[in-house]
Amino acid sequence: MEIISEKHLEKTSIKYVGKGAEFAIIYFKNIILTILTLGLYYPWAKVEILKYHYQSTALDNSRFSFNGTGKEVFRGFIKVYIILISLYGFLFYSMQTQNEVLMFSAIGIFYLFLLLVVPFAIHGAVRYRSSRSSWRGIHFKYLGDRVEFFWLYIKGVLLTLVTIGIYGAWFQVDIRKYIFSHLRFGNLSFDFRGDGGRLFWINLKMILLMYPTLGIYSFWYYKNLWKFYAENTTITQDGKTINFKLKVEAGDVFELVVVNFFLILFTLGIATPWVAVRTLKFFFRFLKIEGEFNTDTIQQTEYDDYDDAAGDDALDFFDIDLL
Amino acid sequence: MFFEVDYFDGKSSRSHKATLSANSLAFLISYTNENNKSKVVSWEISNIKKSGVYAKDFISFTYGDLFPFQRIESADKKFIDFVNNSDQKKLNNSLDAMLHKSKKRSIVFLLLTLITVGIATYFYIIPTVATGFATTLTKKNVIDFGDYVFRILSTELDINETATKKLQEFADEMTIESTFPLKLYVVQSDDMNAFALSGGKIIVFSSLLEKIETEAQLAALIGHEVSHIENRHVLKNIARNLSGAIFVSVLFGDINGATAVLMDNAHMFKQLSYTRSLEKEADIFGLDIMRESNVDLHGMPQLFEILQKETVIDVPTYLSNHPMLKNRIIYTEKIANNQNKFIKNTVLKQKWQQIKKSLENNNE
Repeated sequence: MEIISEKHLEKTSIKYVGKGAEFAIIYFKNIILTILTLGLYYPWAKVEILKYHYQSTALDNSRFSFNGTGKEVFRGFIKVYIILISLYGFLFYSMQTQNEVLMFSAIGIFYLFLLLVVPFAIHGAVRYRSSRSSWRGIHFKYLGDRVEFFWLYIKGVLLTLVTIGIYGAWFQVDIRKYIFSHLRFGNLSFDFRGDGGRLFWINLKMILLMYPTLGIYSFWYYKNLWKFYAENTTITQDGKTINFKLKVEAGDVFELVVVNFFLILFTLGIATPWVAVRTLKFFFRFLKIEGEFNTDTIQQTEYDDYDDAAGDDALDFFDIDLL
Repeated sequence: MFFEVDYFDGKSSRSHKATLSANSLAFLISYTNENNKSKVVSWEISNIKKSGVYAKDFISFTYGDLFPFQRIESADKKFIDFVNNSDQKKLNNSLDAMLHKSKKRSIVFLLLTLITVGIATYFYIIPTVATGFATTLTKKNVIDFGDYVFRILSTELDINETATKKLQEFADEMTIESTFPLKLYVVQSDDMNAFALSGGKIIVFSSLLEKIETEAQLAALIGHEVSHIENRHVLKNIARNLSGAIFVSVLFGDINGATAVLMDNAHMFKQLSYTRSLEKEADIFGLDIMRESNVDLHGMPQLFEILQKETVIDVPTYLSNHPMLKNRIIYTEKIANNQNKFIKNTVLKQKWQQIKKSLENNNE
């Protein structure tokens, strides 16, 4: 007779335990410091906020941990701003010369650079965040190849342009597949098994139903989209696959979005930290882990000590959020 | 004193229930490992790193410089209090502990501070820095900027060459102490308007010139525009507008659209009032130029009366970037009435007649 320990029958739980008032103190304190230093404090503010969200996320009663430092993010921040300022400087200089060839090539270089830098920024950001994230002392790491990812990205952009956006869904799935399949957590590996066609269909339904339903369909759209991303993500532990379920309904999405909207609107934004906490609580409340996940036997592997936060800072500039 | 913690050795994710005791040099962590053996780990205080941020019911530390790092987590209230009250500066954070003591009071306090800091930055620091930037920019930069704007504009301007030449002669005849080389242009247009660009360029539209009756009125117009140039009003205006708008959008843009729109409009209102204050400054400074040039100061209120007649609706002061013309007529007339005796500049009268003639020729 096989003895199944109680531990394994019990579902692994993941939840967000942050508190609105607690986060509000951290959030407002950091905004004040950022304003007083005319923005220079931003890297430390960002790190403290990330640290709070990570440590408020509990898997089997142990907390995640973000181990980046303000200093690392500051160095990245300086790098990004030096590059941006020199790019703008070149652009303005060329405009002043009135030389049309120089002007057009400067504009061309400017936009080309912004386009080409995005895949490198994503790579850098994912690698930095992974290297600095841990749970029970076990570190994440990202093993993707910068050049390989760059070409994958450029191919996706070109195909999306040529197909007037249709390929966009497959492009997004390819990017996610690449990132997840190169992500490790100790000796666990990740994968994304979504299909571009399915994402295309989700987006197409949104485009077709958005206007006839006066936007009401968007709650179903977000439900489908979030389920698509969550439920196609897998973890492999010792050859066994662990899946996620996001048991969310359109009504839940409606409640989240509408309440958040009114909270922000009527408080002129003061409710922002409470809304952030509400939103994270929402996602982790519906996220369930399915399959035999043994959270006690994850083994640490080699450390990828990647301290360059420039990619992470660049994504802030482009307003791109990870995952 | 013993505290309850979860200990992680950094090699695997196994969680060990452990007890921790602390002295002034080290944390001593004792637990039973997977082979049922008792273990004690000693953490030197100097090598312990705080892992998270302050929270009332959670604390975590990592240990060591070499990977893999060990870790402890605890929700033990006694341990959290112990750390926060210890004299180990690097482990506790007295500011955070104080802020989190009474959450409601701290949130109110932080919000009030945030509002005060935001208001002070928006109303005082940013305008001062922006105006300072506009004032310290080198003369060459200011001229280059004006030239750049003019090059863009000039493609759409129909310049009347003869009238331009005559208007330039008129301005040269006035007594103007200008740091910037003044260059005036007459542009054929039905709009009643005139404006100045940074670095010395003044553009006067022909229909305004046609309505002007005396050389004193023209001198008033030029005096007003010259003072915009001398005092770098355009640059100050742009610098303040842009930096203020960036501040507002950074602070509110991230939050939500509705608040951002509200704040943008508030910013526009404030900017209008700043522009009005610049206009008043230009009027007063313009009167000084007129006085120096031996022109009747009444030309200024007369010019405003012409403008008033031509503008159908006089927008209320709070919506207009020029102080309501009625106001301007009153305060400039007051100054004009106190003008000392002077010998009229007759050359200006001749030059003015030449301008009139060149405009008439153009219309034929």
